[in-house]
Amino acid sequence: MQHAVTTTTSLPSTYLLEVQHLVKAFGGLRAVDDCSLTVARGSIVGLIGPNGAGKSTVANLITGFLRADAGRVLFNGADIARLPIHRIAQRGLTRTFQITRELERMTVTENLLAAPHHQLGESFWLGLLSTPAVRRQEEENLQRALRLLRDFDLYDLHDEYAANLSGGQRRLLELARVVMTQPTLLLLDEPFAGINPVLCARLGEAIEALSRAQGITFLIIEHNLAMVERLCSSVIVMALGRVIAEGSMTELRENPAVVDAYLGEG
Amino acid sequence: MPPFFFYLMTLATFAVIYGVLVIGLNIHWGYTGILDFMYIAFVAVGGYVTALLGLPPAQPAFGETYVLGFNWSFFPALLVGGLAAALLALVTGLLSFRRLRSDYFSIVTVAISLILWTVAGNATPLVNGWDGITGVPQPLADVLNLDFNGYGLFYLGLCSVILLLVYLFAERLYASPFGRVLRCVREDETVAQGLGKNVFTLRLRAFVIGAFIAGIGGGLLVTYVDAFNPSAWATPETFIIWAALLLGGGANNRGAMLGAVLVPVLFTEATRFLPNFYSPEFVNASRYIVVGILLILTVRFSPQGLIAERRLRISQRKLLPAAISMRGPERVAPDLTGPDAVSSLLSPERTSVEDTEAHSGK
Repeated sequence: MQHAVTTTTSLPSTYLLEVQHLVKAFGGLRAVDDCSLTVARGSIVGLIGPNGAGKSTVANLITGFLRADAGRVLFNGADIARLPIHRIAQRGLTRTFQITRELERMTVTENLLAAPHHQLGESFWLGLLSTPAVRRQEEENLQRALRLLRDFDLYDLHDEYAANLSGGQRRLLELARVVMTQPTLLLLDEPFAGINPVLCARLGEAIEALSRAQGITFLIIEHNLAMVERLCSSVIVMALGRVIAEGSMTELRENPAVVDAYLGEG
Repeated sequence: MPPFFFYLMTLATFAVIYGVLVIGLNIHWGYTGILDFMYIAFVAVGGYVTALLGLPPAQPAFGETYVLGFNWSFFPALLVGGLAAALLALVTGLLSFRRLRSDYFSIVTVAISLILWTVAGNATPLVNGWDGITGVPQPLADVLNLDFNGYGLFYLGLCSVILLLVYLFAERLYASPFGRVLRCVREDETVAQGLGKNVFTLRLRAFVIGAFIAGIGGGLLVTYVDAFNPSAWATPETFIIWAALLLGGGANNRGAMLGAVLVPVLFTEATRFLPNFYSPEFVNASRYIVVGILLILTVRFSPQGLIAERRLRISQRKLLPAAISMRGPERVAPDLTGPDAVSSLLSPERTSVEDTEAHSGK
C-alpha cells in the first residue's frame, strides 16, 4: 500500500513475474506472510508445498481475485496488485482453477470463442450489425478454436455442452480456453488433480508444447510431484505462507527444510 | 364482430404485448443471469412516460394532476418511454452492480420496485397517484378513422410488428459475440472476469437493453388498456412475467413468447372464470396461487421450461477440412506426418501439440 509507483523500471527484466513481500491475512491467520518469488520469462515453474501453505492464496493475489494487505506483484515490470481481475487478464496473466469451472450451458466451441480479448463483436452495436470485420475476426477465432480442440482431443465434442464433459475433458477444455486468450503467463492451479495417468501425460505434453511453440510462461501449483519434476525446470516450495526453498526437484529432495515441511522421509 | 372474436382479439393483443415484455426479461435473466425483481417497474416507467408525453396537459380543475402532458404523437413518445426505462436501469445498475452479488442485487431490485410504486401512488402531482391516468391517446386513431373493432385489429397488428422486431433483435443479440459474452457472465462470472471480461459493464449493458424493451412493452400496454394506475404494476406482477419466462423456457425467445401466451394470458384469464366463492379477493388472489403452483411444477419437472435453450452448433462448412473423427465406424488412422497431424489420446504413438501449433502459424 505504501507503493504508490506502479511502474518500477524501464529495463526489461528477465523475470516476467516478480512477487515482492506479499502479505495476506484472514482474520488472525497470515495465510501469506512476506512471500517473494520470481518467474523467469519462458520458464515452467512449479509451486509446491503442504496443504495450507498459502499456494492458492498466492495464486489469488497474483491474479487479482484477492487484494494483498501489503507487497507488490510486478508483471512485465508493472505493479498489478491493485488492478481488477479482468485488467490483469487483459495484460496476459490468466489462470485456471483448482476445481474446473465451465460455461456449462454453452457448447465446447463457445467456451473457447468467448475467451479472446478485445473482440470487436463484443461491442453491442458491432455485434448486432455483424460488420465484415466482426465476421472475419469470428472466423479466425473459430478456426483457432477448432485447431485447439483438435490438439486437445476435444474436437469430436465441439457441439457438446460443456456440462456433459468428463472431469479430464474439463481440465483440457479449461486449458484450451485460457490459451485462446493468448496469455504470456498461465497460472495453473492443480491442473493434474483428479485426472487419470493417460490424461495427465497428455496434459503435460500440451503444457510443454505450449511453452515451446507459443512461448507461454507457466506457474503451476501442483501436488503431483512426478509431473512437476517432468515439467518444471525450477520449483518453488512454500510452507506457512512463505517461500522456504527454490531449485530443481533433485536439489529440493536433498534440502532438509523441504523434506521436513513437505516431502517427508524417503 | 361477434363478442367472442373481440374477446379473442383482446387476448391476442395482451399475449403479443406480454411477448415483448417476457423477451425483455429474457435478456436480463435468460441471457445474462441477472436476478431482476423490479422488471415491472421498467414496464411502468415506459408506460407512464409514453402515456404522459402523449396526453394533453393535466387539468387540475377536473381533479387530475400529472407531469409532462405534451401532446406528443405516439412513436416518439414510445421511444422516449423505452429510453426512460433504460435510464432507470442505468442508474440502478450503476449503483448496485459494482458492489452487490446477484442475490443481494435481487433484494435491492425488490426494494426499488416497492419504493417507486409507493412514490407513484402517494405523490399525486407526479402521475395522478393511486387513481392513475386515463384517456391515453390511441396512436393514429385520427388518421385511420376505423371503427372500434377495426382499430383493435390495427393495434394488434402494430403490436405484432413491434414484437417481431423485438424478437429478431433479441435473436440476433443472442447469437452475436456480445450475446455470447453475456451468457459467459450468466454461466460463471468468475470465469468471465478471469478471461478479461468487464462483468460490471456487461451486466449494466444487458440490464439497460432489457429495460428498454420493458419500457417499449409498457408503452404498448398502457396505450392499449387506456388507463394505468399503480395497482396494475404492484411488485408481485414482476413474478407473473418471471413465471412466463421460466415456464416457456429461459434463454429461448420462442419459449418466452409461448410463456407470454400461457401465463399472463391463459392462466390468469382462466381464473376469471372461477366461480365466485369464499370472497372476491380470493378469486383475485387465486391467480398468484395458480402461477405459484405452475412455477413449482416447472422447476420440479422441466427446469429448462417448455422450450429449452437452443444449442448453437457450428455450421458444417466451417469445420476443419482435414478433421478426422476419433470415434465411430469411420475412424481413420491419424496421419502423423502431414501438416494436419492429429494427436489422438487413443493411439499409442502421439504427435505433440507442438507440431500442429507450429502449423497453425502461431
